[in-house]
Amino acid sequence: MAAQTRTANRHHRIIIWSLLLLVAATLLLPLIPYAMDYVDPSGTVPNPGADLWRDVRNGNIGTSQVLGVDAGVLINDNGERWRHFRMNQLIPVGAMFMGSVLALIVLFYLVRGPLRIQGGATGKMIRRFSVFERTTHWFTVGLFWLLALTGLILLYGRFVLIPVLGPEGFGLTASACKEAHNLFGPMFLVALLMMFFTFVKDNIYARGDMTWLLKGGGMLGGDHVSAGRFNAGEKIWFWIAMIGGAVLIGSGFVLDFAVFGQGREVMAISHVLHGIAALIVITVSFGHIYLGTAGVEGTIGSMVNGEVDEAWAKSHHDRWYAEVKAAEGGGENEESAGGTAATGVASPARDA
Amino acid sequence: MFAQLVDGIFWDIALWVFAIGVVWNILSIFRVGNKPDYSEPRGSAVAGAVATNLRRFMPRSEMVSRTRLQVIAGYLFHLGLFALLFFAAPHVLFIEAQTGLGWTSMPYWAFIIAAQLSFTGLLLLWVHRVMHPVTRLLSDMDDHMASILTFIVMLTGCMALVEAFEGLRVLHRFTVEILMVYFPFSRLMHAFMFIPSRAFTGAWFGRRGVKA
Repeated sequence: MAAQTRTANRHHRIIIWSLLLLVAATLLLPLIPYAMDYVDPSGTVPNPGADLWRDVRNGNIGTSQVLGVDAGVLINDNGERWRHFRMNQLIPVGAMFMGSVLALIVLFYLVRGPLRIQGGATGKMIRRFSVFERTTHWFTVGLFWLLALTGLILLYGRFVLIPVLGPEGFGLTASACKEAHNLFGPMFLVALLMMFFTFVKDNIYARGDMTWLLKGGGMLGGDHVSAGRFNAGEKIWFWIAMIGGAVLIGSGFVLDFAVFGQGREVMAISHVLHGIAALIVITVSFGHIYLGTAGVEGTIGSMVNGEVDEAWAKSHHDRWYAEVKAAEGGGENEESAGGTAATGVASPARDA
Repeated sequence: MFAQLVDGIFWDIALWVFAIGVVWNILSIFRVGNKPDYSEPRGSAVAGAVATNLRRFMPRSEMVSRTRLQVIAGYLFHLGLFALLFFAAPHVLFIEAQTGLGWTSMPYWAFIIAAQLSFTGLLLLWVHRVMHPVTRLLSDMDDHMASILTFIVMLTGCMALVEAFEGLRVLHRFTVEILMVYFPFSRLMHAFMFIPSRAFTGAWFGRRGVKA
């Protein structure tokens, strides 16, 4: 009996010591390479994870059970560069750019004031934009500002809205803005195409545009500068909007529809292009809005009612005014044909 | 608290106002009735009603060039809205939960296309209404309210698409309830009345042998 008890006790001790040995081995064995390295730093004891993390750092593509683009890339090292650019360059420089232009416009208005119609308004109105042209313009404007505001909230909301709404409130707002931005983005393609085909014919470079530019459109010296239906400044804005819009749409499609095999790199580049193009177009649009409203007397009516005062037309677009008058008096054939594309005279058919 | 109201009593009120309002509106129109017509029929009233209903889906040939924008935008908006209303996955699930009736919803990509078409159509129609001197003159507050409310409902719906935030879903449902209360008292009733209205005109003219 006593012998059996001793045997059992010995078995128990063996089991307990074995378990303790296993635990100690598990804890201590991984420390041996470090201990050796401590004792002899010149020894070459490789970190078992070093090769792995070196590969990760170099962007080497591994294998993964997950299917999809970039699934084999554990960490995209370039993502850090993109994040750095977004946080330290795009956001602050963009804010300074927009703020500076806004400040300059306000300063210009305070110093120069609105550009008045030379000799005052006559009360005689002349058709400048057809209903279709105005519909196209305001449709684009509506989409543009919806996209601009939601985009700016996504870019700057973290700094501006979190202090006001709190993290939860901003999260909700950002989610709503992201969905709206993604949804309205593709519609901007329709708007941009409508704008392009409606206005391109009058926005091609013409003789006199360079002179207009050199004289600053008369804003600097105050002298009258001759112009056609659109002056050189308006043409530049048109092409900035078109090219910028094309970049926005192209990069936006890459970001919005991640189903065409584009990886993180392409997405990051698209995001950078999207952000830069958006900030440029938004900032230049400040100038367009200023000149179309407070900056030049009598301009806003052209896009609201489609008409401008004859004195305004003579003052700012004298060549166009002459063409309109020539078309009116030049024969009934042109009028009955529904206006002329060359002069940009609105046609009754398109107005309906 | 607000979410409970929106999902509870507000929804019940909106549903009852909508249902009673629409039925009342339709009945009141039909109760006006017709004067008896003793003239000799020169054509079929029924055929006229059907033909006019179908014919009005296309613009008159003389008006094609003048109304191209409105026709295209009108179709984009109405077809897109119909698809969103009855085939968007959250709507199908909601209808199924409320009525027990369910059907296959459209895939996500189709939802996106339908939403794009619908928004494009609605915005173009509304901007054109404001820009055209005649429609601007003819339009009153009701027309603008209907357009703006519809836009807001669609917008909040799309903002709530990912269903990540309860607040966005509640906001969408609340705007829907406002629209439902407004609906019977506005020209939005054309959703129910366009077929009877066309049929009445078509039958009246059809009986006289005139193509309406």
